[in-house]
Parts: sequence; C-alpha cells; structure tokens
Amino acid sequence: MDSLVGFVGKNYVLMAGDTNAGRSIMRLKDDFDKLVQVDSHKILAKSGEIGDGNQFCNLIIRNVSLYRINNETELTTKSVAHYTRRQLATAIRKNPYSVNLLLGGYDKKDQMGSLYYLDYLGSSKKINYGAHGYAALFVGSILDRFWKEDLDFEEGLELMKKCLREVEKRLIIGTRCFVIKMINSDGISVVEKVMINSEKKNEIEEEN
Amino acid sequence: MFTLGSVLDNELKSSVEDFSFETEFSTNQLMLPNIEKPFEFAQSIISLEKDLDENDNQPMFHQQKKEERKERALIKGSKGTTTLAFIYEKGTVVAVDSRATSGQYIASQSVQKVVPVNQYMLGTLAGGAADCQFFLGHLGRICNLYELRNNEKISVAAASKLLNNILYSYRNYGLSVGSMICGYDTRGPQLYYIDSDGSRLKNSLFSVGSGSPFAYGVLDAGYRWDLSKEDAIDLGRRAICAATFKDSYSGGTVKVYHIDENGWVKISDDDASELWYRYEEKEKKNK
Repeated sequence: MDSLVGFVGKNYVLMAGDTNAGRSIMRLKDDFDKLVQVDSHKILAKSGEIGDGNQFCNLIIRNVSLYRINNETELTTKSVAHYTRRQLATAIRKNPYSVNLLLGGYDKKDQMGSLYYLDYLGSSKKINYGAHGYAALFVGSILDRFWKEDLDFEEGLELMKKCLREVEKRLIIGTRCFVIKMINSDGISVVEKVMINSEKKNEIEEEN
Repeated sequence: MFTLGSVLDNELKSSVEDFSFETEFSTNQLMLPNIEKPFEFAQSIISLEKDLDENDNQPMFHQQKKEERKERALIKGSKGTTTLAFIYEKGTVVAVDSRATSGQYIASQSVQKVVPVNQYMLGTLAGGAADCQFFLGHLGRICNLYELRNNEKISVAAASKLLNNILYSYRNYGLSVGSMICGYDTRGPQLYYIDSDGSRLKNSLFSVGSGSPFAYGVLDAGYRWDLSKEDAIDLGRRAICAATFKDSYSGGTVKVYHIDENGWVKISDDDASELWYRYEEKEKKNK
C-alpha cells in the first residue's frame, strides 16, 4: 500500500513517498514520513511493514554513523546499498525483514546522484528511476516514457508531480498526500509536502 | 507453554549485578520446546485473524504454511475492544470500554483495560489481555528502574521505544498487543501507538480495537487542539459510548482518564448502556 517513487536528474536525486500509515482498512496517521535520512546526503525510502521498516532503517543509519565515527570518512551511496543488501539477504532465511527500499544519495567525489532499488529478498540494483508498491505499476510506464538523462530540477519536479497525480488518480486506495525530497550537493531538502486533488481538474494544492 | 515470566525474572536479577543497558532490555530469550525447529512449531499452532486474510509482503515460505496454520490453529487472537486516546492543549485523555469476549461469549464486563505505567503514564490494553497486562507491567518495572538509575523521569518517547524494541524481538511469536502509551512529560502531552508487529507511531489521536472505526467517527468529528478539559473528556466518553453502541465486542463500562502535568486521574466510570440513554435524554432536553 505504500508508494515510493524516485529518479536521478542532473546532479540531484528526487524522491517521493506517500505519507499514510495504516492498519488494515484504517489510516492511523497521515503525516508519516517514509523518507528517512541516513546521513547528510543519503535518503532511505522504506515501504512495507512499519515495525520492520523502522527497526531495519535504524540499524542501517546507526551502523553508517558508527562507520563514520570509527573511520572519519563518509560512506558512498554504493557502499551503503551493498551493506543494506547484505543485511537483508542474511536475514531472509532466518528472520526476514518485510521492507522494500529505495536508497538515493549524492556523492561529492563523483559529483552525481545515484539511486538503488532494494528488495526484501535481498536484491539490489542501481537504477535511474524506479518505484515501490502499487505506485510502481502506474508510474513505471510514465517514467519509461518521459525520463531522460540530465533533467533540470524544474523538469524533474514536473515529472514527479505527473507520477504522483497518476497514483492519486488510479490507485483505488486514497493516497493524496505525498512528501517530495531532493538530494543534491547541498544535502537533503524537503521540496514540497503535496496534497493532490485530481477532482480539481488536475490542479495540485501545496501544503505550507 | 511459553514461560515468559521466569525468563524475564532472570533478566531482572542479572540487571541488579550488571548495570549494562543491553542485558537488561534485550529480551529475545523466549523459552521454546526442545524440538528441531521450535520457531516453525510456534508459528504452526498460533494464528491471528489477520493471518487468515491475504498476506502481502510475506516471504514465500510463510505463505506455504498459511493453509496448514489455518487448520491447526489452536490459539486465536483478535482485538475485540475499543480504546482511544488523544492529546490536546491541556493534556491527554484516555477512554476505554471494559468488555472481554472469547468468541461470541462475553467473558467479563469489568476488565481493567488501562494499566498505569507510572504516575504520569498510562498504557491501554487491546488484543491479548495477558500479553498486554504482562508487557505493560514489565514496562512499568523498567521505567521505575530507569528513574532510580538516572534520577530523572523517563520520557514517553523513551518508554514507548523500550516497549517497541521488546515487542519487535517477539514479533513472530504470536503475541497480540495493540497498546497506546499515553502520558505527559517535559515535551507536553504525548501519545504513541505500539503494536505487536513492531510498529510505533506518534500522533495526536488514536483508537484501537474492533470498535475503533466507530470511535474514530465521533472523535474525528469533534476533535480540536484547543478543547476545554470538560469538552475533551466528554468527547472521549461519547466516542467510546458510540463504539459500544455499534460494536458487539465492546461494552460494559466506559472509563475515562485524564493526564496532565500533575499525573493521571480517573475521571469517570459509567455503564455503557445507561450512558447512551442518558445522552439521548440530554439531546431531547436540549431540543
């Protein structure tokens, strides 16, 4: 039921997730941030069970901090992706974590952003654009059609909103509220907390 | 079969000699039968109602066992109750019903569904009564020890996180806990929802149990941050009353508590059916 979308642009990574937290048919919380900060330039977007997501992401974040304290150097996005994948893979046949993740990060050394798709079964792939949850069904084709290399920030934001509008329009479960975050050389910033209302002729209202 | 009590007593003993934070609070030492695959055995005899529905995000080998589990289910858990809590400007309001059902039989109409954790924190009970009572009591012990060691009151966030970590370590063992930790600390009124699946959510209002959709209806319609104390208490009471009216698994008496900077206080304890007709009378008079 969670929707996560992400793609890479020109020197930035744009990620969005819905802000619903629910239990069976009920929405318990409508401002639940699923895009957690790993360090100054990485975001781990989590979907799946809430408890597993919280505990697993905490594990990754604290171990990344520990590495930084021990070795006085930041890990690259690739390293964090590999570490995360390994944690998921070793757990799968003992104590599986039901979490699907998108890891987005900006590396100062390479001066570019990268996005990794991680699965609860322990798969990991570097991707240019991708999504998790039911959103993946609707948004996959939009990103295939409209994503291209080196999108500007404005073009990227417009593409992201196009994706979220489609999720709101076609997913029978009401996911109207999303949070969009961007990672670039300056770090992580919350671009918008959007509430999409497609009844209003495809207009998008901004919260705050 | 599961002897949780003796395991945790051992931990408390060891924590007196050894002040390390980890040994006290790490609890993945559930005693299981001495067979080849105890984890699978535990899973095979326990079924929760949600396991009987469609599983999303479950690994394949769990799904294969689902059919076997349905047939061999000896222990069933369901959250037949209504509890709610919300925070507002002046504190936290907690309201619960008091009915316990086992299948279609009403086992008791006078269950205590609010467990005090300490003087300024309450925990609510939904799901398995034994599980909730035990773990909330255990949380009370841990919070007391924390206060003695650190000479300061434990925050609601920390207490809920401790409970969350314990329940997470027992997440596949068939516990059924849907508890809310409600309190008032230095950050003001706080409310956390803790689940036996391992989720922990912070929000300004929650309702848990089979009657929760009905309670949410009344609660969402009347909730504001700047309610007065009487209005807030009345809102909590009316919401539980509405849930007991509509949900057959909720009933008995409606108990309302209020938590502010001076601690928690029990406000009222009314019979649910009488309360409904009392409100009806009031509406008629107002007209």
